[in-house]
Order: sequence, then structure tokens, then C-alpha cells
Amino acid sequence: MSMSKIELRHLKVTAGGKTLVDTTGLTLEAGEAHLLVGASGSGKTLTARSLLGIVPAGANVTDAELIVTLEDGHEVKPYQALPRRRAVERNFTSLRGDVIGYLPQDARGSLDPLMRIGAQVKACLSLNQTDESVESCLARSGFESPERIANLYPHELSGGMAQRAGIAMLLARGSRFVIADEPTTGLDPTVQEGILSELSRLRDSGVGILLITHDLRIVPRLADKLSIMHEGTLTECSSVKLDELDSAPARALWSATARISGDLR
Amino acid sequence: MWLMSLLSSYDVASDVNVAIISQPPSPEHLLGTDKLGRDVALRMLHATQAFVGPGILAALVALMIGLSTGAIAGWYGGHVASGLRLMTTSLASIPRFVLLLLASSIYGRDLTTLGIAAGIAYSPTLSEAVYARIVTFRDSGFVLAAKAHGLSSLRILTYHILWSNCKELIWRNILALFGFFLLIETTLSCIGGFGVQEPDPSWGNMIGIGDLQIGANTGNPLATWAPVLAIWLVLTAVAAARGTSVEANR
Repeated sequence: MSMSKIELRHLKVTAGGKTLVDTTGLTLEAGEAHLLVGASGSGKTLTARSLLGIVPAGANVTDAELIVTLEDGHEVKPYQALPRRRAVERNFTSLRGDVIGYLPQDARGSLDPLMRIGAQVKACLSLNQTDESVESCLARSGFESPERIANLYPHELSGGMAQRAGIAMLLARGSRFVIADEPTTGLDPTVQEGILSELSRLRDSGVGILLITHDLRIVPRLADKLSIMHEGTLTECSSVKLDELDSAPARALWSATARISGDLR
Repeated sequence: MWLMSLLSSYDVASDVNVAIISQPPSPEHLLGTDKLGRDVALRMLHATQAFVGPGILAALVALMIGLSTGAIAGWYGGHVASGLRLMTTSLASIPRFVLLLLASSIYGRDLTTLGIAAGIAYSPTLSEAVYARIVTFRDSGFVLAAKAHGLSSLRILTYHILWSNCKELIWRNILALFGFFLLIETTLSCIGGFGVQEPDPSWGNMIGIGDLQIGANTGNPLATWAPVLAIWLVLTAVAAARGTSVEANR
């Protein structure tokens, strides 16, 4: 059995004739957490969403080589069909959810507003065709009273609870990889810590996680690999030690972070 | 069942009895009789056929046109949306009442035509409401997340957006259309010339502009009051149902 893997060899995203992302790629293996760090507007989200084939309206993936290796060694190359967008879209439908899951920043906005949490988790379970119960998924994502949560509507959840519900849905869906787009932004530190430990549990269970963030402080907590995105270009750092960052934008970001935190070393 | 057989056994044309013109209520005639000696209560019941069936027909037509155009325009956007919306707004620019009069005079005064025409006339309103709702959802996080979970566009649109998030909106519009149809049907029938024609009863022609002018029902005021109150009651019930559905949605 070979390890499943996502390999983005290169990627070019344009919008209205302007190139937003033009970079060599990144790899994400099962059971590892790859942090993608960069300032706002550097193209992190575009890169992450191109792995799912869902770039925002107006942006286009004009050139890309993405190889998704499944557990049985089978390879899927969704962007091979470019420039035929419909064919690319078809290629991605087999990957979304089953292989690659998505955990967005706006967790509450990502839930069907008029469906109870339990029903939404159940819908994911039925897509995955497993016998696991809704309650057990909710419990595995860190809820202490899953029965109560299952009965709530999204507007009744706090940001952190909504994020956990999102994780429960990914667990229910059984995605092999998770792309988490700033999942801790806007949450208070305790909740952030909770979400990070759920993600690290997810990683330890063999799921590959690509975590997009602008917060370098979570690097020591979670990162197996670290890539920096700067003005549409990705650079993978040789080390995940914050004192040994080998790219200039990464060092700039880290010194700014450290200055805000008040412990410039 | 009893009601059905009562209605089917009632012959609207032969019920005339000049011996009992404009009688006040009695055990034989619960709401009295009208200017031709016909039983008001029976005619009241019989008249519901003039708006229930055609009103439902109108709702179905409006659903078919309004839902499909609104959903397609809202979901796909672009030139498709521009084309569809041009169509619905140009239809909406003609006052509904005029549209119904036109349809009646061109295609016949029967209630089926009126029902279909009312459905078509109302469809732009439904289409616009569905369109506006879908546009707000199209680029929302939850549609993105549903896509990322591997759901097809069709399933997201039909189940998560139209069924889960628009059914209240659609229901409210259908109720409004039903109220609108009752009002149109009774108004046309009341004015005469269009709508339901004597001897067939409608709450509208039971009031009857002509009858009001000559004071035909002075002997039994209930013959006028009953249909007036019935129209008011149904319209109020429809409005209340719309209100409850708004409340339930909060």
C-alpha cells in the first residue's frame, strides 16, 4: 500500500489578465501538517482552493499540474484536461469530499443555515456510506454533549463551536486530506488552542492537513512542513524552526509577529 | 362527501323559485334566498369552485414558470440571467389586472384561462423573489463548503437552496397569489362581463354591481353580506397564514 499524496507541481492563477499566483508547488502527504503562511493578499487562499478546483468567481487557473495519488496507488491529474474547464470540473468531483475536504474560515457561514447540525453531519455520513453515528462524530470533534449540539441550528453556535461542527462534518465525510483556510482566525486563544488540538488529532489519525494561516505562532504547535507565500510565489522552508527561517518574507512576517507579541528575540 | 354530493346535486340553473324571492334566513334556507328565490347558502358553497381549483392551477403555473426562471437566472447568472430577467421584468411591467382582462377577452372567459393567466401574471414576482434569494446564496460560504464536500451543483441548488432555504419564501408567495386570484376572480365576476357568468355562482357575482345599484337584495341583506364577509374572511386567513410563516421562519 502506497501513501496517498497531493502534489502540486506548478500553478498559475490569473484574473482579468493579471497574474495572481505563479509558482512552483507544494506536496502534502497523509499524516502530515503542512502550514502555508503568508500575508493577506499573497495568494494563499487561491492556492489552497485550486487544490479543490474551486477558485473564486473571476479568477481562473490557467496552468497547473496537480497529481493526487490515492491509497491504492491510482493517480488523478484533474488539471490535465485544461483548458477544458468542464472536464476539469468533472475530474474534481471524484476528489472533493472523498479525498480532499475543506475547512473554511467562516465556519458558521459554511453550514446550511436552516438545517440542524445533526442533519448536516448525517448528510456527510451518508455520502461516506459509513455506519458511524452522528453523536460519535460530534464527540470525536471535541463536543462534550453531542446530543444537544445535534439539535442546534448554525446560528445558535459560537464561532468555535461552528468550527468544531465543520471538523465533525469532515470526520463524517472521511476526507483523506483537509485544507483548512485560516480556521483559527477570529477565535479567542482558548478556542484556537482547542481547534488546533483537534487538527493535530486529525493529523495523527493519518489525515494530511494543509493549514493556511498568517499566524506564525502556531508553527511550533503543528507544523511538519512550512511554506511561505509571498506575492503569488511559494517557497518551502527547509526548517520549521522559527529562528532558522530561510526566506526573507518569512523572517519579516515573524519579526512583525514577534514585535506584536512583545517578545522580540 | 356529503358536501360533494350536495354540490353536484345542486343545479344552478333550475333552482329559481319566484315564490320565495329574497326571504330572510329560515331552517330550509340557512342564509335565506336571493332575488330569484335561490338558496344563498348553497350558492355560497358552490361558488368556492370558482376560485379553489383555478387558484391552485394559477399557483402551479406560477411555480413552474417563476421557480425555474428565478432559479436558473440566480444560479447561472451571466447572459442567461440577463435574458430571463428581461423576459420576466417586461412581463411584470404590464399591470396584472390588464393582463388578465386581455387573456380573458382573447382566450375566453372560462376559469381555466383565468387561472393560467393569473399564474403567468404572478410568475415575475415569484421569479424575482427566488432570484434575489439564490443570488445571495450563490457565492456564500455554505455553497462553497457543500461543493467542497463533493455535492453536485444540481443537488445544492434543488435541495440545499430551493428546498431547505426557499420553501417558506415560495409558500408565502403562493399564498399571496391565491389571495390575489380570489380578489381578481370576484372583482371580475362582480363587475360582470368577465369572470363567472350567471347562473353559475361566484362570491363576486352574488354581490353583483348591477344588483347593488338596483338594491335587489334589500329583502335579504345576507345575500350580499355573506359573499362580502366570505371574501374578507378568506383574504384575512391568507394574510394571517403568510404572517405565521414569516414568524415561523425567524
